[in-house]
Amino acid sequence: MSTKHTKAADRFIANKAQEVWHNQTLRFVRDKRDNMAMQLPEWETLRETAHQIKMHTITHLDHYLNEFSMHAEANGVLVHWAKDADEHNQIVYSILQSHGVKKLVKSKSMLTEECHLNPFLIEKGIDVVESDLGERILQLMHKAPSHIVMPAIHLKRQDVGRLFETKLNTEKDNSDPTYLTQAARVHLRQEFLTAGAAMTGANFGVASTGDVVVCTNEGNADMGTALSPLHIISMGMEKVIPDLKSLAVFIRLLARSATGQPVTAYTSHYRKPREGSEMHLVIVDNGRSNMLGNEDHLQTLKCIRCGACMNTCPVYRRSGGYSYTYFIPGPIGINLGMSRSPEKYSDNLSACSLCYSCNNVCPVKIDLADQIYKWRQKLDSFGKADPAKKNLSVGMAFLFKRPVLFQTGLKMAPVINRMPRFFVYNGLNDWGKGREMPHFAIHSFAALWKKGKISGANQKKKNAES
Amino acid sequence: MQSRKEELLERIRTKIRVTCDMPDLLIDSITFPDRVAQFKVMLQAVGGEAIELVQGENMQELICSRFPESKIIASNLPEISFATINPDQVDDPHELAYIDLAIIRGEIGVAENACIWIPQMMKERVVCFIAEYLVVLLERSALVNNMHEAYEQISFHDKEFGVFISGPSKTADIEQALVIGAHGAKGVLVILT
Repeated sequence: MSTKHTKAADRFIANKAQEVWHNQTLRFVRDKRDNMAMQLPEWETLRETAHQIKMHTITHLDHYLNEFSMHAEANGVLVHWAKDADEHNQIVYSILQSHGVKKLVKSKSMLTEECHLNPFLIEKGIDVVESDLGERILQLMHKAPSHIVMPAIHLKRQDVGRLFETKLNTEKDNSDPTYLTQAARVHLRQEFLTAGAAMTGANFGVASTGDVVVCTNEGNADMGTALSPLHIISMGMEKVIPDLKSLAVFIRLLARSATGQPVTAYTSHYRKPREGSEMHLVIVDNGRSNMLGNEDHLQTLKCIRCGACMNTCPVYRRSGGYSYTYFIPGPIGINLGMSRSPEKYSDNLSACSLCYSCNNVCPVKIDLADQIYKWRQKLDSFGKADPAKKNLSVGMAFLFKRPVLFQTGLKMAPVINRMPRFFVYNGLNDWGKGREMPHFAIHSFAALWKKGKISGANQKKKNAES
Repeated sequence: MQSRKEELLERIRTKIRVTCDMPDLLIDSITFPDRVAQFKVMLQAVGGEAIELVQGENMQELICSRFPESKIIASNLPEISFATINPDQVDDPHELAYIDLAIIRGEIGVAENACIWIPQMMKERVVCFIAEYLVVLLERSALVNNMHEAYEQISFHDKEFGVFISGPSKTADIEQALVIGAHGAKGVLVILT
């Protein structure tokens, strides 16, 4: 009954200290989010409004994308359309090539991760430099992000210290975060100053004005785009929203939900290309239009990539981002992966206890847990149902349809209590792994009830009568 | 031939099953009896500092006393005469690579989160991000309660770029330990005039 997720989670929790730290740190971010939410009396109204704006926008996506691209073009932005990851990568490469770009600085973009842009460009000979500190650390380690907002959350300061010793010539055994951040600042400052192009993602595209809005804490998106003569924006088509009034709602929710900050340090509005520079916008489908046609899972398109569902998820917090097989982990990642390919990513469906905490923190009210539940019902239809659970269901159906057999079984059950541990806790019983099995009662509830021995019930009856 | 844009928009049209209405955006949002006080508290919380210029106080002397070490000072504001470099008068943004202090003007301050709306009003906007320290001049009367009010009022000027800045650049990417001064300013001082 193991999935790839449970096996990878086993490896993560093998380091107990790391598991505890990871769990507590992310729980603390969730608490900070709660603290922010509770300071605003209108918080729930904001969430409901954000949900409705997104539902409206994605169900009128053709209209808003058209409006957005027309305004962007009128502003002098060169707009490209990509149906999939390959087309996106080709477009980006051809823009870089036409400008003779050798070095590209990037700010954080989950879409370029989705498209595997970096390896594609590196193979073509372009020096790709991630500039978000967490992303840069992982790039130097040749690893992927384990969280969409806090990409290096699985690492300890000593890991980063050792990495920087070899890559950035920092002092031996100095793993002070301030010292390491300063070293990265100096290193990346040179990269910003020598890059031929800057690339950013897009948090929001404003249809009524053509603005592309990018939120960062580090200021890396602006360092890159304010210096280099070429700005390329990679944007998923679901990122468009109607107008600046709508934007206010999302900006109020985003950072509060993501990191428990009142707002990110920089909320940048790119409307026109900088004097003497070019601005290109690549609008990407890559499976998003397919999701529009699936009513059960439509709401994943509302996601604003804040990561709140990960921070609150008890499974994510204790298993880490690398335990998921899709590049976006946590509740939203489970659903995005399933929308992309149920056959390929169904292992992640086990990473959910249906506690619904994610539904309750999502700033745009995505029905994350409901969708996971629905996907689980469909597992058998694409041949991914767990054989042990399937057999068990068949057995249970057989048993429940035969009351005499069921009653006999129930009477016999306490025998298991006295069996040697080996008989109960072995490779065949997945329910006995990592937990103690409950003991069978010597007399079943049904048997006690028949004999009138349910004293609590009698007592209550008496109390009610007196 | 159908363009890729038309193809994708058409594809979207064929996929949409249900349509939802746009909600009412009149949200009864938080207001503050003392916006100046709230703004100061929030700016401090995000790692910056706001001070009020008292009547008769000399702005330049105040800035100099706060940043005595700064040698290369960038500004295009007419009231700042001690600037050593003007972001309007450089041919290339890279000329602004090594500035200690930038002094710029903000147009709107937001009490709920210490955001300041800074439309690009200089030739090279990199000055707002690359300086080691940033001073923002802001009128007290330009403080609004929340982002809804701010977005009602923002304007972009001719450069058509604008940014809300809330405190200094920061990161917590190493073990969630907050470090001020990632890529942008290591400190932000807002002078309320």
